[in-house]
Amino acid sequence: MWQYVLRRFGEGFITLIALSFVVFGSVHLTGDPADYLMPLTEAHDQKIYEAQKKQMGLDRPFIVQYWDYINSAVLFDFGTSFVIQKPISELILTKLPATVHLALCGFFLSIVIGIPLGIMSAVKRDSIFDKLGKGFAVFGLAAPQFWVAIMLILFLGGQLQWFPTYGRGDIQGWWPEWHQIPQTLWHLALPSTVLALSVTAAIMRLARSAMLEILDSDYVKFAQVKGLSNRIVIWRHAAKNALIPVLTFGGITLAGLLNGSVVVEVVFAWPGVGLLLLDGVTQRDFPLTEAAILLSGFFYITTAVIIDIAYGWVDPRVRTR
Amino acid sequence: MTSLNFEPIQLTRGQSIRKWIKDYNPPWIALTILTVLLFCGFFANFLVGDPMTNDLKARQIPPFTDWSHIFGTDILGKDMTARLVFGCRSVLLVTAPSIIVALLIGTTVGLLAGYARGWVDSVLMRITDATLGFPSILVAMLIVTFVGTGYTGVIIAVTATTWARFARMIRGEVLSVRERDFVVLAGILGVSPVMIMWRHLMPNVINTLMVMISLMIGQVILLEASLSFLGIGMSPGEPAWGIMVAEGRQQLLTTWWVSLFPGILITLVVMAFNFFGDWLRDYLDPRLRRAR
Repeated sequence: MWQYVLRRFGEGFITLIALSFVVFGSVHLTGDPADYLMPLTEAHDQKIYEAQKKQMGLDRPFIVQYWDYINSAVLFDFGTSFVIQKPISELILTKLPATVHLALCGFFLSIVIGIPLGIMSAVKRDSIFDKLGKGFAVFGLAAPQFWVAIMLILFLGGQLQWFPTYGRGDIQGWWPEWHQIPQTLWHLALPSTVLALSVTAAIMRLARSAMLEILDSDYVKFAQVKGLSNRIVIWRHAAKNALIPVLTFGGITLAGLLNGSVVVEVVFAWPGVGLLLLDGVTQRDFPLTEAAILLSGFFYITTAVIIDIAYGWVDPRVRTR
Repeated sequence: MTSLNFEPIQLTRGQSIRKWIKDYNPPWIALTILTVLLFCGFFANFLVGDPMTNDLKARQIPPFTDWSHIFGTDILGKDMTARLVFGCRSVLLVTAPSIIVALLIGTTVGLLAGYARGWVDSVLMRITDATLGFPSILVAMLIVTFVGTGYTGVIIAVTATTWARFARMIRGEVLSVRERDFVVLAGILGVSPVMIMWRHLMPNVINTLMVMISLMIGQVILLEASLSFLGIGMSPGEPAWGIMVAEGRQQLLTTWWVSLFPGILITLVVMAFNFFGDWLRDYLDPRLRRAR
């Protein structure tokens, strides 16, 4: 077990190093930040250009720059944003709560809806319920998030005015005050629904196929033959085992949600990291993009490693692979 | 005791086609949608007028009210029908090259990693994992930051996020095929590794590859549409469905149809590719048919 844990950590670490190298390298190979920052009128003034380069430390060898960058990145210092003249770590920290709230809410929705629906449609295979569920899954995996978001805004926000269509209300930071909770949830309703849509569909399909396989297994049949009630067989014996692949997928999806809610944040003007990142991309704010991608990479890889280890702990066969 | 008597059943051509259809039940609706997509994509300029002409006198005409603009016009008076049809062409223009390049890179990496194993495999798979480990939209955004937006940017971004999936899958397949006798024997006979990969491994992974392509196209279309919607994909004003949804969003309550129709088309096309891929998988691998 320890060997397995160490190996997985080692692999994760190497992947992270490789990633940081690629991200840092692609910034410095494809564009010259000093050139980009030059005022337009002085574009050809070699002296100012050199001074700029020196000031930014760009005249040093690539590997030294990389080493410096990594050293400060470990201490959560990613330098200053080109466009918004503020430390990047500070910018990201102020935007983080909104993104985490949204991701957790969407994740919660998709687990609470996806798993029971998937299990039920496996149990009632080929019934109307199963067919409806399948239809929902097909739609959820094919409909583009941004479009669903806009349609929800149009009907539930615009025509009926049931839900707020942008922003997250008055709350700042991590914890809303007591009286702000209903309002916070209200603002979360539409964005988290959109975020949950495709994940719910995927979880549903996964739970359904895992459950079908298990319902077909000998021990479930034996439990039925023993005369246990259907409810106990399904929920106590079968569902537990069907959940293993679903939870693995769920874990990695949560990491994905925390990173990948850019589209939803844009449509709902949700003041999170995704929106910050998009601004970074459209304004070609290299340090900002670099930092955001590196952080999500770090986050993603850590989650993947933890899930793998947990999986190896639950299922010893995985370790020897 | 009666003797068993096997009369070979002769089917006429029509009968055998009908039997094939009955046995395999091809997804008709999906196939129809894909045919229409291809047809509109190829012949867009013969079917409809120019999708870029502004006609300020005919702005914001609601759909199904005017015969010359069945799907209405947008904020600048561009004909929605023309833009929707030319949208098919944009889909093809982005999807085809990026899938082909991703396929070439992914297949090469997958074959190499699976066949060579050892440190080549480790290095290639670490890179693949690092790419796969990300939500594709983030990788695409990173790339667009460097390459810039527009057609080329989209293709590079989409390719960069897609190849790893092919590589992963092909490697897995190759690992199992390379242990089979005919591959081992070919190696003993002195067939060169390149030849083994091309003539012996490749034909055995082609089935899975086809399924994979069909399912990936759906993802590529969604990714391109999302990038275009975010304003970091195709150039503004182009008749791409993602851009049209974004254009409609600016005046959602008055010109809702500008957002509605392209979204429906994206959904339909992605659904069609997904259905077709699922069907193809069942068709090519009969073992899976029971489980579903």
